[in-house]
This record gives sequence, structure tokens and C-alpha cells, in this order.
Amino acid sequence: MDEARKPHPLVDGTEPNLLEDTFAYDLPPLIHLDAPAVEYIDGKPVQFDLPAVRNRDICITDTTFRDGQQARPPYTIDQMVRIYDLLSKIGGPGGVVRQTEFFLYTKNDRETLDRCRALGHRFPECTGWIRAVKGDFRLVKEAGLAESGMLTSCSDYHIFRKLKFPSRRACMDSYCEVVAAALDAGVRPRCHLEDVTRADIDGFVLPFVDRLMEMGRSVPEALTPKVRLCDTMGFGVSYPGARLPRSIPKLIYKLNRECGVPSERLEWHGHNDFHKVHVNGATAWLYGCNALNTTLFGFGERTGNPPLEGAVFEYIAIKGGLCGIDTTAVTELADYMRSIGLPIPDNYPFVGKNFNTTSAGIHAGGLRQDERIYNIFDTTRLLGRPPRVAITDKTGVDGVAHWVNEFFGLKGDRRIGKIKCHKLARWVIDQYEVQGRLTAISDEELQAKTRELMPEYWRRYTAG
Amino acid sequence: MATIEERVKAVTARVLNVDPAEIKPEHYFAVDLGAESVQSVELVASFEEEFGIEMEEEEALAVETVGGAVEFITRICRRQGVQIEE
Repeated sequence: MDEARKPHPLVDGTEPNLLEDTFAYDLPPLIHLDAPAVEYIDGKPVQFDLPAVRNRDICITDTTFRDGQQARPPYTIDQMVRIYDLLSKIGGPGGVVRQTEFFLYTKNDRETLDRCRALGHRFPECTGWIRAVKGDFRLVKEAGLAESGMLTSCSDYHIFRKLKFPSRRACMDSYCEVVAAALDAGVRPRCHLEDVTRADIDGFVLPFVDRLMEMGRSVPEALTPKVRLCDTMGFGVSYPGARLPRSIPKLIYKLNRECGVPSERLEWHGHNDFHKVHVNGATAWLYGCNALNTTLFGFGERTGNPPLEGAVFEYIAIKGGLCGIDTTAVTELADYMRSIGLPIPDNYPFVGKNFNTTSAGIHAGGLRQDERIYNIFDTTRLLGRPPRVAITDKTGVDGVAHWVNEFFGLKGDRRIGKIKCHKLARWVIDQYEVQGRLTAISDEELQAKTRELMPEYWRRYTAG
Repeated sequence: MATIEERVKAVTARVLNVDPAEIKPEHYFAVDLGAESVQSVELVASFEEEFGIEMEEEEALAVETVGGAVEFITRICRRQGVQIEE
């Protein structure tokens, strides 16, 4: 490895450099991509123009009603219509949340689809999901959908062990018959390459995709097949130098540049079995898939899918602006999901009860001085969730003072100093040191004690 | 009337639960007298109450010794027109 040592003199200063071109606070931290990435593929260096992602029409697609429902009892029709409405609100008029897919097999499936479309939203566009069975296209046609996903499993685990095809050729012919049926029916097929990160890429995946591209040459652009890369078991990795079939950059290169599938017809669908789901999805965006398939709060089969709300914030970070996205609808959706019984862990990013709550006194002290010190971005503005302090034995006087000011809604010079909060802080500490308490103190308890121990402030800042 | 130093020592002894006779001007509140974080705040609040003054929080909490507190409070009392026995 080349010697890269060089001196690094201190750049002294008396004013902080808060790096606000990246950490603007009123937006999520931005991701500045300055240079191409290089990957060695088949022994040759290949450049990927990562900065170009800013100008590409990347988007989020949703499978909350399909993969998301495979991991839970079914939603009611009313619930799905409400969720669809909020998905539209998040994605905004530009359709950052571009599509969502529906099962079409039952009467309820079809009624849900009809009611969602009756809302009149342009986005997310409703698409279908069917098995790779010719007869199923009747359902897509009857539903009047322009596009449907179809399962085209591509690893030998599926081809031979699950689907029991006698050969790869028989499998490919079967899939292509269904694709042809879709094209005949005027429905754009979206081929879901299930288990692609465990497939024989050269032996099956690329020949199949070549054939799809060939079939697409004789149909109008609006019908040309799309390809969804399904990392069914979460085996995909983003690391440079990783081998196929696990390398996401190499998979995308093969399909995008060798087979010629344009980025706008490539989509990534991941699973979280190895905790890589979000970064793998973002990697797919950077290396050439325009669509990232997600579910709300990552809820999906087994360990789940790329979380839609994570993709929303990644999108903003990459694009450098909100692009019509309504991030507060993420909180609205989380509240709604909780209300219908979907559990969201307290520490879950962006929407968990405690995602921006600190209980360490030293962090609370930082929050009290400047909330940016321990808050990821302006969560009050973007999510309607001010940073909070959980009151425990670790909270300290700073944390109690922060809680009091948040409770009274006091900002800037109006904030109450910690000296004025000392009786409340003493009560909190005694709960643990004298009373031997082992649980956190609830907001309700603290409110009652604030009223008792800080009566002048209570009178001044509350109606009571 | 007790002097400022006597009153500071009396408040310190009460808040930190130590013998006032053992408190010396050079003693550090935290290191020598064992003041924890919340007690430092309680000390400042108790000094304000004892002397009928308002202290700037960061400045007051930056005072580390008993003698330093006597000087600081003397200055604040003069500035705020509070009668004291020096």
C-alpha cells in the first residue's frame, strides 16, 4: 500500500465550524457525493457516477400491502385506504413515493384497490402482484392496472428445489410465456428476480434478463418489462470488491450496462436478515437502480424490508431538499399504525417513542445549551417531535431543567434556569437514592411535582 | 449580624451536611466538601435565598471554593444594593 503520511496542522479558531453545508439542521444531514466509485468487474476497473444520483429520477416504491402484510394479520380495507392516503401525503405531488402494489386474489383485495384509487391521488400509482401464472393476468386486466409484479424466482434453490422445474431452460421458457401473456394483455410486467443474491448470475439471471430485453423491443415503451432485484434472504452486500452474486454494485452493473436494462426500469427489494437492509437499498440507488422498494417501518417477511421512512430521509439527504415530501406525515403514519396495533419499538429511528429522547444527564446538559448537540436534525419541524429528556437517575439537573422548559414550551431567553428547578431535581434524585426506585419517572408524575414544587411557574405558564 | 463568610459557611454546612466548624475558605465545594452536581445547584439556590439576591447561573456555578463564594456573593450584594455585614 502506498505511503500516504502527510502533516495535519491545527486550524485554530475561536468560532465553531458547525459544517452547516452538510448539517443544515432544518434538513436531514446531506450526503455530498464528490467523485465516482470504482469497482473491478471481470478484472477491469468500472466507474460508477455516484454524484449523478442527484439528477436521476430515483424514487421510492412501496410494498406495505404485499410483503408488509406477509408478516402480520391482514389490514382491514379501511386501514389500507388510510395508509394509502398517508403514503400519498408523504411522497407529495412529485411522486417520490411512486408506486405501491396490491394483491389481487380476493374480493377484499380488489375492493381495497378500488377504494384507494377512488381517492384520486396520482401517486403512489397502484400496481399488482401475481404469481408467474398466465391465468393470473386476467386479474390484472380486470382490475385495470397498467403494471403488475410477477414472481420469477431465479436461484437454483427456487428453480429446482421449490418450483421443481426439470431444467433452467424449462423455467425460463415458463416465465417468458407469462411475460408474453402480460404484454399481450397490455400490462407491463415487472419481473421479480426472487433470491437473485443467491443465484447463478451468468448461468441464469443474465440470459433471462437478455431475453426479457429482447421481448421488450417489440412493444411500446410503456409496456417494456421492468426488473426487480429481490434480495430475498438479505444476502446482498454493498462492499467494493465483494463477489457476485452478493455484490450489489456488480449485480446492477450486469443488468444495467451488460443487459441494457435502463435505471428507470430497475428496482431493488431487500430484506433485513443481516441488518443491511437500508444501506443496501441506498447503495442500489447510487449504483443505478432508480426505484427502491420499501415497507412502512420496515415491516415485512421475517426481518422485514427497507423501511420507507428511512428511504424518505435518505432521499432528502441525497437530493439536498424536501422535493415536495411531507415528512410530518411519517409521524402521522406511525401514530396511526400504533393505533391499529402495529408495535413500533421505542428506540426505532424517526418514529419510536424515544428516538430523540436522551436520559443521560450529560446529554441533557448538551441539549439544554443547544439542541443540535444531541438531536439529529430539527425533529420538531420535520417530524413534529421535539427532542426530549427521559427522567431517570441518570438525568441530572440539566435534564430536569430541559424537561421543565419543554413542558412549559419555553424557548431562548424565556427558558427557566436549572437553579430554579433544583427542588424538582432533588425530588427526582431522592426517588432513586432514597426511595430505591428502579423505573423511569413518567411525564404525568413530573407534571404533578412541577405544579407542587414550582407553583409560580405553573401559574405563569399553564392555564391552571 | 453574622458576616458573609459565616452565613456562607452555615448555608454550605446545611446543604452539604457537614460541620460548619470544619469549613475553610480554601475548601473546594466538590473536592473537599463532597458537593455533587445537584448539590452545587442547591447551594446556589440557597445562597440566593439566604441573601435575597439573583445570581447569573453559569457564573455562580463556576465558583469552586468557599472563599470564592464569599467574594462573589459580596460583589453581587453590592451590585444589587443588599445590606451585608462584611
